[in-house]
Amino acid sequence: MTQKVSGGSTGLDEVLMGGIPANTITILMGAPGSGKTILAEQIAFHNASPETPVLYLTTLAEPLEKFIAHGHSYSFFDASKVGVSVFYEDLGYMIRETGIQTLAERVTDLLVKYRPKLLFIDSFKALHELLTSETERRTVIYDLATALSAYQCTSFLIGEYAPGMVTELPEFAIADVVLNMMRHITNVREQRFLRVEKIRGSDSIPGMHAFVIRADGIKIFPRILTPRFAPTYRPKVERVNTGIKGLDDMVAEGFWRGSTTLIAGPSGSGKTIMALHFIRQGALQDEPSLYLGFQENPMQMARIMHNLGWDTEALISAGKLELMYRSPVEMQLDQVAAELFGRIRAGKVKRVAIDALDDLERSSVDPQRFADFIYALIQWFAVENVTCMQTVELSHLFAVSGTNVTQEQVSNMCDNLVVLGFKTEPNSELRRSVRILKTRGSAHDEREHTLEISGRGATVTKAKAK
Amino acid sequence: MSTDNRVLILVVERNPAVQRLERYFLEHAGYSVEFTNDGLSALERARELKPAILVAEILVPALDGLSLCRAIKGDAATSHILVLIFSHLHAEDRAREAGADAFLIKPLNEELLIETVQKLVSQVSTEKGTR
Repeated sequence: MTQKVSGGSTGLDEVLMGGIPANTITILMGAPGSGKTILAEQIAFHNASPETPVLYLTTLAEPLEKFIAHGHSYSFFDASKVGVSVFYEDLGYMIRETGIQTLAERVTDLLVKYRPKLLFIDSFKALHELLTSETERRTVIYDLATALSAYQCTSFLIGEYAPGMVTELPEFAIADVVLNMMRHITNVREQRFLRVEKIRGSDSIPGMHAFVIRADGIKIFPRILTPRFAPTYRPKVERVNTGIKGLDDMVAEGFWRGSTTLIAGPSGSGKTIMALHFIRQGALQDEPSLYLGFQENPMQMARIMHNLGWDTEALISAGKLELMYRSPVEMQLDQVAAELFGRIRAGKVKRVAIDALDDLERSSVDPQRFADFIYALIQWFAVENVTCMQTVELSHLFAVSGTNVTQEQVSNMCDNLVVLGFKTEPNSELRRSVRILKTRGSAHDEREHTLEISGRGATVTKAKAK
Repeated sequence: MSTDNRVLILVVERNPAVQRLERYFLEHAGYSVEFTNDGLSALERARELKPAILVAEILVPALDGLSLCRAIKGDAATSHILVLIFSHLHAEDRAREAGADAFLIKPLNEELLIETVQKLVSQVSTEKGTR
């Protein structure tokens, strides 16, 4: 089995199926400010111990003093390890003295001196400025690769490499692992992603993985993938009470546990109140429930529930109900998924309401990725036997037909589809309507009924049979 | 034994980076070290110098490390030399079949290298004592 070195974060270790293969050369590439040095130092300090000495070589990009000062701003930076198990050296200074042609020799001297288990050269890309010809570039890089491969040590070359350089620069040929750190900026929003461009002798989770930079360093959220095993429903039908009077009766077998129901409707049609009923009912039945919202903060949500006469505080205090708010401006899809499934796997959540998908979609950098994300999310809910209600806003004010009412075909992915709308009565009065368009694995009442919302919540009033 | 009473180790290795590391760590551990770059000259030097230990990479020019090992072990004049095959190639079984006394996989791990060499040296001393 391949020995692995921790990537300094559980998320990165998950992406790399256990960590970075030991005794390999890894390139950390990305634009300025993408977080390369932070990740490098995080890996260094995370792994450093007297048994695992780490050597961090600075070159020509930043003076050594700046590295130390910058590192201090993160909690992973343990000053007591510096000079004990983390050693900094100015390789740039040595190279300026003896010439870039001696790079491999200088590095070997340092390997012999410190006997590191992990070695970092930051910035390696900056050394290219000292290389005067293509021949020299290839020779120096080859000699360095030979030197690094000779000693049992896991090496990291850090640099401001652009994507086009991957096929041009010789260090990418010698690298066993290439991690690309990217910034995605749209208007005022910024999202960060990490992608494994290359990995030898190991597997990894493909695609772009969101990450954030916090005071404790870089936190990576592995991209949510469709489960590798199919969800299994118990043969015995388990009904889930939505808490919306009259709605459950419209489905012959009831809404199944582990299923996902999409509530689609125009603004003001009652989507949020249905989602709130759903999670409150779960909490009352001793099923820990979570409301994930992007518009109203928890205080505003608690006030809405209080106004309905519900004792929300008692449910929250008892750990049966959680109101989770995430700003749609700063949010990243996989970060939300990681937080959600962290709670689910800890057994803290049996019901989830996501209100609304439109806000999640806005945080996605790619429509296809959003569709894949929702599909994977629904499949994982089924695997974990978590019952979910999601809401989505429709632009049509009145009745819609067909089972694909959303742009990214999310409605097709959900097990059940409930469409809300408005209808005009003969006396010109506007009334809310509810109709079930789809239930997977169960018959349902196909008629349109009235959704009444009062100070006590939502109720479905059946249309009289003709 | 070298002229200065240190145990002599002959190393056949063509990678200069590995040579530098091996020289440093072995000399630091108290051994005298001689290098050759290919298998054929290693065979000549072994006959000439009679080192206590031969450390050989398999992937060397002229005569590969395994053939070198067979030649050393098949010649009465050199068969007493203990052979450590130290290679990037995962070929421990082939090395043992060729008569090698020890096998190590690269990259170089200082502790493992020195520990293995020390074991071989103590084997040399024991064999001398029982003769």
